[in-house]
Amino acid sequence: MDDTATVDLVRELVLRLLSPGGRSSTASNNSSDAAVRYALRLLSSRMSPSVIPDELSLVESIKRRLALSGRSSSALGFADLHSKLSARAPLLDRWALLYLLNSLSLDRHRPESSPASGLPFLPLHPPHPPRTSASSIAGGMTGGGVLLVAKDPENIREIALREYADLFMEDNEVSESALVRDVLYACQGIDGRYVRFDRSTDGYDMPESLKVPKPTRSIVRRLCELGWLFRKVRGYISEGIVDRQFDIGTVGQAFCSSLQDELVDYYKLLTVLTSQSANPIPSAGSDSGGGAGNYLSLRRLAVWLAEPTVRMRLMAVLVDVCGELRGGAMAGAIHSHAQHGNPLVQEFMGRLLRRVCSPLFEMVRIWVLEGELEDVFAEFFILSQPVKAESLWREGYQIQSSMLPSFISPLLAQRILRTGKSINFLRVCCEDNGWVEASGEAVAHVGATTRRGGLGYGDTNALEALVVEAAKRIDRHLMDVIHKRYRFKDHCLAIKGYLLLGQGDFVKYLMDIVGPELSEPANTISSFQLAGLLETAIRASNAQYDDREILDRLKVRMMEHGDGDRGWDVFSLEYDARVPLDTVFTALNMKRYLKIFNFLWKLKRVEHALTGLWKTVKPNYINSCIFANESFGVKLQFVSVLRRLQVLWNEMNHFVTNFQYYIMFEVLEVSWAHFSDGMNSSKDLDDLLAAHDKYLYSILEKSLLGEGSQSINKTLFVLFDHILRFRSLADRWFEHIHELQHRRNKSKLKSKGELGKVGSLIDGGRKALLQFSRDFFGKMSEELDKVAKEYSAALHDFISQLPLQQHIDLKFLLFRLDFTEYYSRVSSNK
Amino acid sequence: MPREIITIQVGQCGNQIGMEFWKQLCVEHGIGPDGLLEDFATQGGDRKDVFFYQADDQHYIPRALLMDLEPRVINQIQNGEYRNLYNHENIFISEDGGGAGNNWASGYHQGEQVVDDIMDMVDREADGSDSLEGFVLCHSIAGGTGSGMGSYLLETLNDRYSKKLVQTYSVFPNQMETSDVVVQPYNSLLTLKRLTLNADCVVVLDNTALNRIAVERLHLANPTFKETNSLVSTVMSASTTTLRYPGYMNNDLVGLLASLIPTPRCHFLMTGYTPLTVERQVNVIRKTTVLDVMRRLLQTKNIMVSSYARTKEASQAKYISILNIIQGEVDPTQVHESLQRIRERKLVNFIEWGPASIQVALSRKSPYVQTTHRVSGLMLANHTSIRHLFSKCLGQYEKLRKKQAFLDNYRKFPMFEDNDLSEFDESREIIESLVDEYKACESPDYIKWGTEDSEKAASSQGSLAGSLDSKLTL
Repeated sequence: MDDTATVDLVRELVLRLLSPGGRSSTASNNSSDAAVRYALRLLSSRMSPSVIPDELSLVESIKRRLALSGRSSSALGFADLHSKLSARAPLLDRWALLYLLNSLSLDRHRPESSPASGLPFLPLHPPHPPRTSASSIAGGMTGGGVLLVAKDPENIREIALREYADLFMEDNEVSESALVRDVLYACQGIDGRYVRFDRSTDGYDMPESLKVPKPTRSIVRRLCELGWLFRKVRGYISEGIVDRQFDIGTVGQAFCSSLQDELVDYYKLLTVLTSQSANPIPSAGSDSGGGAGNYLSLRRLAVWLAEPTVRMRLMAVLVDVCGELRGGAMAGAIHSHAQHGNPLVQEFMGRLLRRVCSPLFEMVRIWVLEGELEDVFAEFFILSQPVKAESLWREGYQIQSSMLPSFISPLLAQRILRTGKSINFLRVCCEDNGWVEASGEAVAHVGATTRRGGLGYGDTNALEALVVEAAKRIDRHLMDVIHKRYRFKDHCLAIKGYLLLGQGDFVKYLMDIVGPELSEPANTISSFQLAGLLETAIRASNAQYDDREILDRLKVRMMEHGDGDRGWDVFSLEYDARVPLDTVFTALNMKRYLKIFNFLWKLKRVEHALTGLWKTVKPNYINSCIFANESFGVKLQFVSVLRRLQVLWNEMNHFVTNFQYYIMFEVLEVSWAHFSDGMNSSKDLDDLLAAHDKYLYSILEKSLLGEGSQSINKTLFVLFDHILRFRSLADRWFEHIHELQHRRNKSKLKSKGELGKVGSLIDGGRKALLQFSRDFFGKMSEELDKVAKEYSAALHDFISQLPLQQHIDLKFLLFRLDFTEYYSRVSSNK
Repeated sequence: MPREIITIQVGQCGNQIGMEFWKQLCVEHGIGPDGLLEDFATQGGDRKDVFFYQADDQHYIPRALLMDLEPRVINQIQNGEYRNLYNHENIFISEDGGGAGNNWASGYHQGEQVVDDIMDMVDREADGSDSLEGFVLCHSIAGGTGSGMGSYLLETLNDRYSKKLVQTYSVFPNQMETSDVVVQPYNSLLTLKRLTLNADCVVVLDNTALNRIAVERLHLANPTFKETNSLVSTVMSASTTTLRYPGYMNNDLVGLLASLIPTPRCHFLMTGYTPLTVERQVNVIRKTTVLDVMRRLLQTKNIMVSSYARTKEASQAKYISILNIIQGEVDPTQVHESLQRIRERKLVNFIEWGPASIQVALSRKSPYVQTTHRVSGLMLANHTSIRHLFSKCLGQYEKLRKKQAFLDNYRKFPMFEDNDLSEFDESREIIESLVDEYKACESPDYIKWGTEDSEKAASSQGSLAGSLDSKLTL
């Protein structure tokens, strides 16, 4: 720069550039001087572009650009020139030359307004007169721009820098400190002088018209993101606290309040920053010793605000995520953002979640320990419904999976649900207060974390421990209450004894005494009378030793009856389970029991009919009514028909007896044994319910009452009907036989006593009697054949359907029925 | 108090086994010798009112009638430990106290003469019950009182209570040793006729087999009556457990017997019991699973009826029905398994003319009786091989009858006056026909038996006619 020749050249160049058309005037003299000075300063600066001086690549890029823009001939020309140049002037800094030329050419293509990347602008227009506000800030300010200031032993550079700063300052309409203040305002959501919130772009920005260097603008924009975020968060909070207070619920409130707390910290920071912003910003080149400590430039602000921005951004994200969510769902949503590797974020989220979850955990605590559902805003993951006591357990409370935060596993949630439900069940259905002790014990066992508000996010283990302990004790207590106070097993046994006909002597006697009653048409039967008979049966059997409380629950029930229904069709027993056991023995389950009862009752009735028939045909009885020798043919007829009847009876009895054995061993006892095991190993009511349902289901399935066995069930009832019909036919036959016998005896006595006198007459009578007997036995034989045929057809039908049934245990039935392979033999003979 | 059963014990043997039976029941129900409930007997579930009733002072009184024509055994009871158990109005001892002298005819005739007294007692007991199920008669068929008076009772009961069940526990004489009762075959035959015609079910207790079991199974060199009687009482009490411990099935005698006796004539049941022990005898503890018990019950050596069948005949013998009463703690699932094993190994032969199977009843064991085995079992079976026992009786009778031996004692009584021995012939025919019917049961064509074959029909006709006539002579 000492070289005056160079200075002259530069001046020449500047003048030429500034005075288009070579016109030189005094007016522009002033500005041309300044421009020259500027140019000189630029040239003397050591600023260098931040690129590696690689000549070859630059050459290549120029060639490529030329070729791409379709001027391949120019590209060739350029390559030729470049090779010539490198050949002629090997010492020349060709790269610098090329870079300059390239930059200039690129510059020309750019729109004027866009900031240049490589070269600073030459001020083509005279600078505006400096504004008062800008000038009022003492010492001015520096704009953006990355200046690498090298240490320069000579002052020249510093002076040049200051000059540059002054120059630069003159370029800006707004001083940096004003921008800093505006940014700080913006960060508090307040519109500043320049930086304002623009609704159309949804962000803080300075008006386009404001002349601010591009870097400054961009940094302001970036800093103002914080303001935007802040607005969002604050908006959510104020909405939450004021407008939707009841809508967002306690969790939302906790969330808002913790956000608010975060904002307080943020406010503090801003206050500090604001106070610092009052300190003057040392302008470039000014003495760095003075206010270097505490001043606030945009750049410094960027550093200061970096962390709050991250935090605020996080909050804004959370606010976004939470949106309309509430309660557990909100906590879950927040939790899903907590899994973050950044310790800052983690720490922040942890703090936040502890606050947010605390109402939720408190709810869990109260629910688990006291069974109270303190959930005014319906944000807990357990939902209660007003139901009747009997369905409290099954339907009263439900888990709302949408409200279940992800940090509580479904298993734990289930446990939580059950524990509180147990308490409520104890309180409402069992009227028991022992759970207080149980939950007290649980608290004592788990320890300090169980105080109010003692649980928080991150203590999920503690929560789980508490829940587990409470669940364990309360479930145990509930089981105790159910078993000891409400004598669950006794009731099950009672149901097994009375509804499932296990108390044989009682059933027998009941069958005996209500039998005649039930043969009447259904509508003529008084259930009152049946209740009396039931009582009689209880008194007469071992049932009398049963607990009165249990017996009181046993009732007669008449089902709906239609025309032509007999008492048999509508009679059934019912067991009144009462609260709380009706949770197990629900109406639906009682209906199933009823179904089983009706089936077993019918089976018993058939058995009863068969043994009744046996009594009619029983040995000493039948032996005494065998026909005398004088009517040999008739006697033979009688013996034949009687034996066929007995064989048929045997077959039916075999079927019914073995079916009953099957019901007893394979169905009732086995299911009961399993249920009993299940009952003893059930730790909570759910287990117990499941065990009971399984028990009932297995009985239903195995007794052919299930869905899949309707057709075989129908066949079975056909069989039963055949047997009952056989019984009534047989009763009629034997009535006749006895009558015949009676008449015969009478005639015989007569013939003995008055032999000879009216012998021929009596003889005639006897012949008629014989003829009558013969006819009767013929008819009886026919009827018997018909019944036998129908019965064996139905039985064949039944047996052939058995292997088709799905339930594995039904093969036991087949095994029993066909123990001697009688039926397989019969069918193979066919 | 429904389904009551009145026990009638007649004669020396009847009263002895009856006494043992009541002792056993008392122990099982926790009833003391004086009829009062023991303090420990608090576990409910048992049904005492089938066999007992309660007096006004809470005493349990057996529904038992004790009858004898000589006072010795009953006096023993009345002086024994259990003297206060029985209702003294229910004890009948003939006034002259001379007994029946091992003569069926004497017993029958004396029974006829005291019928009013006896039936008064029976009626009184029957009236005292709500719904009487039936009678159980304990007697022996060889002596005089049990067989003769028992026979008369059977006929009377059949006449008067024809709708009630009559079950007997009939002790058949030991055929191995020469009995001091020489007319035993006569007595047996005459009693058998009544058992065939007038009883619904006869549980045959064969003294021969009981002795054999006592010797072989219990290793008693010379089993006393007391010991064999305790076997009988075990069987009797076990066969009534399902009545005394109500369950899903077999809660009444009819239900129990109906399945066992499909055809009315064949109503003679065999019994088997395992594991056998006698009082105060420590037996080797054996494994008692359901399968073990059921398998052992099918072994002839455990069956309390001797099999006189020859091998060939024995192989044709068939079960008409089987009921196993298993007592103790049994897992119900084991039952099916055991049945399956038994079928696989073909351990049982059943009749071919109809379906049949082993019925299994599970019953509770008395909580007051301590046993070394977990499970015990009783088998009640209707088996055709019992006909050989009857054949043997017939054979012995024929031998004696051919010689016309000892008939004079019988001719003294009205039934056999004027040398009218038709009663013997009738009885013989009836027993023969019974044997035939059992034999017919072994064939698949049982259903046609006696109706087509004219010869057989004729023979059965004779017997049947006899039955009617015997009735008419009453």
